[in-house]
Amino acid sequence: MESQYPEPLTRIICLFEGLSDAEKRESLISYADSASKQAPRSGETFDLEDIRKDEECTDTVGVYLKISPTRACTFRITLGPQVQTLTKAMTSILCKGLDGASPEQILDIPADFVPKIVGADLVRQRSQTVYYILTRMKSASRVWLNRERAATHH
Amino acid sequence: MIDKNYAHPEVLVSTEWVAEHLADPCLRLVESNEDILLYDTGHIQGAVHIDWRSDLQDQMIRDYITPEKFASLCERHGISNDTTVVFYGDKSNWWACYALWAFRLFGHTKVMVMDGGREKWVAEGRHLTRAVPHFQSGTYLPATHRKDDEIRAFFDQTLTHSKENKPLIDVRSPGEFRGELTHMPEYPQEGVLRGGHIPGAASVPWKMAVNDDATFKSAEDLRRIYEQEAGLRPGDDVIAYCRIGERSSHTWFVLTYLLGYKNVRNYDGSWTEWGNRVGAPIERN
Repeated sequence: MESQYPEPLTRIICLFEGLSDAEKRESLISYADSASKQAPRSGETFDLEDIRKDEECTDTVGVYLKISPTRACTFRITLGPQVQTLTKAMTSILCKGLDGASPEQILDIPADFVPKIVGADLVRQRSQTVYYILTRMKSASRVWLNRERAATHH
Repeated sequence: MIDKNYAHPEVLVSTEWVAEHLADPCLRLVESNEDILLYDTGHIQGAVHIDWRSDLQDQMIRDYITPEKFASLCERHGISNDTTVVFYGDKSNWWACYALWAFRLFGHTKVMVMDGGREKWVAEGRHLTRAVPHFQSGTYLPATHRKDDEIRAFFDQTLTHSKENKPLIDVRSPGEFRGELTHMPEYPQEGVLRGGHIPGAASVPWKMAVNDDATFKSAEDLRRIYEQEAGLRPGDDVIAYCRIGERSSHTWFVLTYLLGYKNVRNYDGSWTEWGNRVGAPIERN
């Protein structure tokens, strides 16, 4: 059966599924440590920038989306300091895992991969913002598609 | 020790005091957080991690673990009955106070809180390590029973308390108290059907008790908030609640240890039980 996930994300999921709980935690910390590297780099420009503080997240999150002529997405993300460690880890995982996917593919990605990566024990009350970054990436993709549709109709 | 005219200044220690006592064999530092991976990213040297859910709560019943399991948890972390446990953590010590309250449920009396919690330690640029300490096993004689009847309130007791117009302190945000929000600000919905508060409860958000640097306010300030403004009186029989009992354990700590109230209970079922419970009356105003 064809994977529902873009290839880079599938590779990350497979990697995590083979890890013990302790190894998963270590890998998640490593991904969380690299979250700051997912911020926009000097000189980059974007098709869409969405920076906001939502009620359901503990701090401000900025989503920056660039889409190539071949419809390949590149995401950059900025996180406020109060964002939880799991959310930081998921930021790095998603920036890498969704790199090159089309906006349509991103909208179709089911969220059921999160427990596969994080482990069922860590997805629980008070750690639900682990899903938040994916929601924001989908939101940015949806806005871009709507703009594209509107531009086509004009 | 910190003394801002608190009733029990011996339970509150500064970050500086902790830094000076890292090698004290009679102390055990316990970090307890909401952020489930925060301890793994770095913690105070010698601190062990106790998780509010996986370590302290029974996984199959909405309740706490047995005294025997608690004794086993302590022994694993090198904690004996006479060890002084110093709690600290994120979110201005919400979970540190929750863990301390749970330790008191099991009769552990030698407890302290590091004022300002993890935020203050980090803000001061103090050292964190990822090295997980391993201690020789402690010797812990389990309590004969949990002290549920002393510092914990259940639904029926809270209902009776409400009907008798005894003091109830709702420590949630004003929006939750008024019933405009069914989740904490900045958090996703956690499964509550109705918004509002327990009839007769006074709204005193937990955050009123702390300064911007996460340290506790002085006793004078706390008395103004809880007594002059909320109407509590020393000697009152008080029940505090929030959504799941962690923010209210922070207020339980303030009333019990900093202001010296002797009859304060934490209703840990809180709004996730009351707001969903068939037949439970609510108020919205």
